[in-house]
Amino acid sequence: MVSINYAFRELSCKIVFYGPGLSGKTTNLRYVHKKIPAQSKGELISLATDTDRTLYFDFLPLNIGEIHGFTTKFQLYTVPGQVYYNATRKLVLRGVDGLVFVADSQRSKMEENKESLNNLAQNLAEYGYEIDHLPMIFQYNKRDLPEIATVQELETLLNPKGLPHFEAVAVKGEGVFDTLKCITKLVLDKTKGEEKIEKKEEVSIAKVKEKEMHFPPKEKTEIPSKPLIVVPEPVGVEIAAQASYKKKVSREPVAPSPESAFAQIPSPVSVNGKKIESKKEKRLFEHKKEEMIKPKEITRPYSEKRKTIIPVPEPREIFLWRWIKNLIKPR
Amino acid sequence: MNQNPLIIYEDQIEKIDQALARLIKGAEAKCALLVDKDGYLITRQGFTHSLDTSALAALLAGSFASTKEIARLVGEPEFSVLFHQGKKDHIHLTLVGERTILVVIFDDRTTIGMVRLYAREIGEDLASILSQSKKETKKVVELGEGFAQSAENRLDDIFKD
Repeated sequence: MVSINYAFRELSCKIVFYGPGLSGKTTNLRYVHKKIPAQSKGELISLATDTDRTLYFDFLPLNIGEIHGFTTKFQLYTVPGQVYYNATRKLVLRGVDGLVFVADSQRSKMEENKESLNNLAQNLAEYGYEIDHLPMIFQYNKRDLPEIATVQELETLLNPKGLPHFEAVAVKGEGVFDTLKCITKLVLDKTKGEEKIEKKEEVSIAKVKEKEMHFPPKEKTEIPSKPLIVVPEPVGVEIAAQASYKKKVSREPVAPSPESAFAQIPSPVSVNGKKIESKKEKRLFEHKKEEMIKPKEITRPYSEKRKTIIPVPEPREIFLWRWIKNLIKPR
Repeated sequence: MNQNPLIIYEDQIEKIDQALARLIKGAEAKCALLVDKDGYLITRQGFTHSLDTSALAALLAGSFASTKEIARLVGEPEFSVLFHQGKKDHIHLTLVGERTILVVIFDDRTTIGMVRLYAREIGEDLASILSQSKKETKKVVELGEGFAQSAENRLDDIFKD
């Protein structure tokens, strides 16, 4: 049941360390976690009681990097060994790809080893797995202790089928990596033989994200290009007030009064035949109105501008000058 | 118990990702993950860079599995929705189909009600996307010939004392 994720190009295998309580399953994982280079390992998660007994499982993700284009990952789990925790122990076995049975080599623990192995077969059967069809190896742990059974005895008791076995002292790390190497190889060999998964073109996450980011083009709203306002040089300016008495002073064309522009705007009662009801719409209308009556936007043909010469009140100086002239006029 | 591996195709992943993105946008959640009941991450969307998603997937699947056992003990087949409330961040789990769990992580910008609403809606979409794989035919694909050998060499490099 190796999980192959073609979208991420990932291959994940679940390896479970099984065995009786206090046989050294968590110790195995701790040693692996301590020794493996940082880039290959994740965090060791331990769901344990206050007294450091595994309650649910320990979890150690290993990433051995890219092999033939696939990022290969192993997830190492341990089960709670105590008989009492069978309910959670069974849950960990779900989707298992490879098993390591960690047996306690002490003579006094033989019964527990046997019981745990039976329990494993039973739990697997409940999931519909067959113990014979799963890659499985044995680790005979605590070989440094006195009063231990010989490997031969353990083999006849636990491993009559002659599956691979390793002697280990997990606290010192002896045999830990040999066990791990063996089970990972077995799992990968099995994967290669069993793989029946359709492969399709890789879809990169980036591609999906790109699609999400792609917004539909906004509706093209035709913005009428404003004709450039040409402010003509004041034509026909005759500042020669002093020179001649002509009262003509030409000015720039004056914008028509706001009122006249406003007259062209439809009344606020309806826009496009639709009645304006809400305050928001009215506010919008006001805004629109303001924009429309802005004097700077008003354009008129150039020729018309030329003609607009508006008489201005004569300057004070001219007025005074004329008044004095009148006074001194010879009668 | 289904022994077959969960098969998800590229086009399905694409659809699933789009559905998750829709959920995040609609419910204003931080991120959404789709997790296999075996503890594998299928896909993810949103702000997941700061999260250890593989560990999260394993733990959430474990949490869901234990809840299932609790349900069985009280006479329910399965609890389909699970909610973890924190001080700032909260997690909402929904069962999708038979084998996958939709995980939504969100904070106080949104409400549990919104998340629940969208999770249910998107969950139905996801279930229909996932059920399509059953109808399609399988093709046999082999990993490269040298795969096992390369893997062995790599393991020798990494697993040395």
